[in-house]
Amino acid sequence: MESSRSVEMMNNSIYWNPILETLRPEDLKILQLKKFKRIFEWAYCNSPFYGRLYKQTGIEPADIKTFDDIKMVPKIDKAVLRDVQTRQPFPYGDILAVPIEDITAFRQTSGTTGTPVYQADSWQDWEWWSECWAYILFAQGYRSTDRVFIPFGYNVFVAFWAGHYAAEKIGCEVVPGGVLDTEARILKMQELRCNSFMATPTYVLGMADTAKKMGIDPAKQLFIEKITCAGEPGASISATKKRMEDAWGANVYDHIGATEIGAWSYECKFKPGGLHVNEAFFLVEIEDIETGDIIDEPGKSGNMIITAFDRIGKPCIRFDSKDVIKWADYECACGRTFRIIDGGVIGRSDDITKVKGVLLAPTAIEDVVRSIPELGYDYEVIVSKRGDIDDILLKIEIMPEYSTRKDAILINLKDQLRVKTNLGYRIEVCPYGTLPRYDVKSRRFKDMRKH
Amino acid sequence: MIDKDKIITLDKKIMCLRKIAEDILENGRDIEAVRMNTKRILASIRMLEINVSDALLCMEKR
Repeated sequence: MESSRSVEMMNNSIYWNPILETLRPEDLKILQLKKFKRIFEWAYCNSPFYGRLYKQTGIEPADIKTFDDIKMVPKIDKAVLRDVQTRQPFPYGDILAVPIEDITAFRQTSGTTGTPVYQADSWQDWEWWSECWAYILFAQGYRSTDRVFIPFGYNVFVAFWAGHYAAEKIGCEVVPGGVLDTEARILKMQELRCNSFMATPTYVLGMADTAKKMGIDPAKQLFIEKITCAGEPGASISATKKRMEDAWGANVYDHIGATEIGAWSYECKFKPGGLHVNEAFFLVEIEDIETGDIIDEPGKSGNMIITAFDRIGKPCIRFDSKDVIKWADYECACGRTFRIIDGGVIGRSDDITKVKGVLLAPTAIEDVVRSIPELGYDYEVIVSKRGDIDDILLKIEIMPEYSTRKDAILINLKDQLRVKTNLGYRIEVCPYGTLPRYDVKSRRFKDMRKH
Repeated sequence: MIDKDKIITLDKKIMCLRKIAEDILENGRDIEAVRMNTKRILASIRMLEINVSDALLCMEKR
C-alpha cells in the first residue's frame, strides 16, 4: 500500500512526469528525431501500407538522419485512411503494424467531414492513450482525491473513453454517467458531490441550462471545481470559456486530440492563453498553407502535420490533420518546456471557406455569438446561394429573459459580425430551445453551395 | 529537471522488470491466464520505458 506521504507528494507535484515535461528544448529535439526514426522504421517494417508507401517514395529508415529528412516522408490524410480501409483485409485494410489478434479496441471518427475512419488499437496503444490523457488531467489539477463524473454516452467515439481510463490511472474516483439523461446526470453529480467532469463545450453549456431549468444553480448548488473540454474548440474561445466558467463557477480547461492521432495537446492550470503540445509523445510540424514550408517561428499560422511516436497498432505518421495552429511567442509559468500553440486550434484549413469572396472561419462566428450574453448557447449557420450570390443565414435564440430587447440585441449582433468577419448575415431568431442540441461534436456550420 | 543518475537507476530497474515479464511469458505461454495478464503487464512496462527510459535517448552525450 502506498504511504500517505507519497500520496501527498503526488498531490503537490505540478507535473505528471517531470522527466519529460521539463526536458531542455535542445534535448527534446534530439528525443523527437530519435523517436521519429523509431516509429518510421516500425511502420516501414511491419505495416504493408506504410512499407509500400515509403518504398514507392524511395525513402527508407537509414535516410532519416536530420529534421530536414523528415520533410521527405510522405504525408497522409483522412482521405488516404478512408481509402486504405476499403481494401482487404477487412475492416482496416493493410495498414496495421501488429497482428489483428493484438487489436483489442475499435473506435471510429465522428464522420463530421465524411465517411468515418476506423481506428484499431492494441492494448499497449490503449495504455498509451490513457497515458496521453494522464498528462492532460494532471496538468489541469486532477488528483487522487477527485471524484470525476463523465457524462458521456460510451460508444464507438473515442471522446472521453481515454479520459476515463486516465482519471483512474491518476487515482481519481470515476463515476461513469453513460446512458443517463441530462437531468439524471445533474442529480447524480449533485448526489455524489462530484467535483469535476469532462464534456464538449456545447454540452457543458447545455447541462448548465438544464440544471437552471431544474431549479439548480450549477455555480452554487453543485460542487464542480474543474471541467475538461474536448471535441470542439469552445474552451479555447475566450467568450465561450467565460460563459462556461461563469455558469459553473469552475475552471474550464481545453485539450485537443483526435481518434486517428491521440490526445496531443493540453491547457495547464496556469492557462497561458494556449495549449502545451506533448512534444515527448508527438511531433507537431506547422506547414505554410501556401508554400508548404515548415514554420518554426511564433505567430504565423499554418496547417498541422502530426506524428504519434508511440502508437504501434495503426501508426499515425505525418498525418495532415487540416487543423490550423500557430506557435505562441510566450512561455508558460508552469515551467513545462513543451511548446505552446497560441489559442489552441484556430481553424481548419478545410473549414475556412470563401463566402462572398471573403475568407470565413466558422470559429469567428461562434466567438461573436457566445460573447453576447443575451443570446442562447446554440446557433446554426447555413451558407447557400440565392441566385448567383452567396447567402449566410445565421439562426440564433434569445434567452427568454431578454426577449423584449430583441431589436437592440440584433443590431449589436450584426455590428459585431460585420466587425469580426467582414460579412453581412441574414438573422433568424428561433424560439428558445428549438435549435438542435449536441452532446458530442456539433454541426453548426452547413455549406449548402455546390462546389 | 530530474538528475540523469536517477533516470539511469530507474531505467535499470525497468529493464529488470521487462526481463522478468518476458521470462514469465515465455514459461507460461501455454496458460492463457498467464499469457494475457503478462501481455498487459508488458504494455504497462512499455509506458514506463516511454516515460523514463526514452529520456536517455537524448542524454547519451551529456
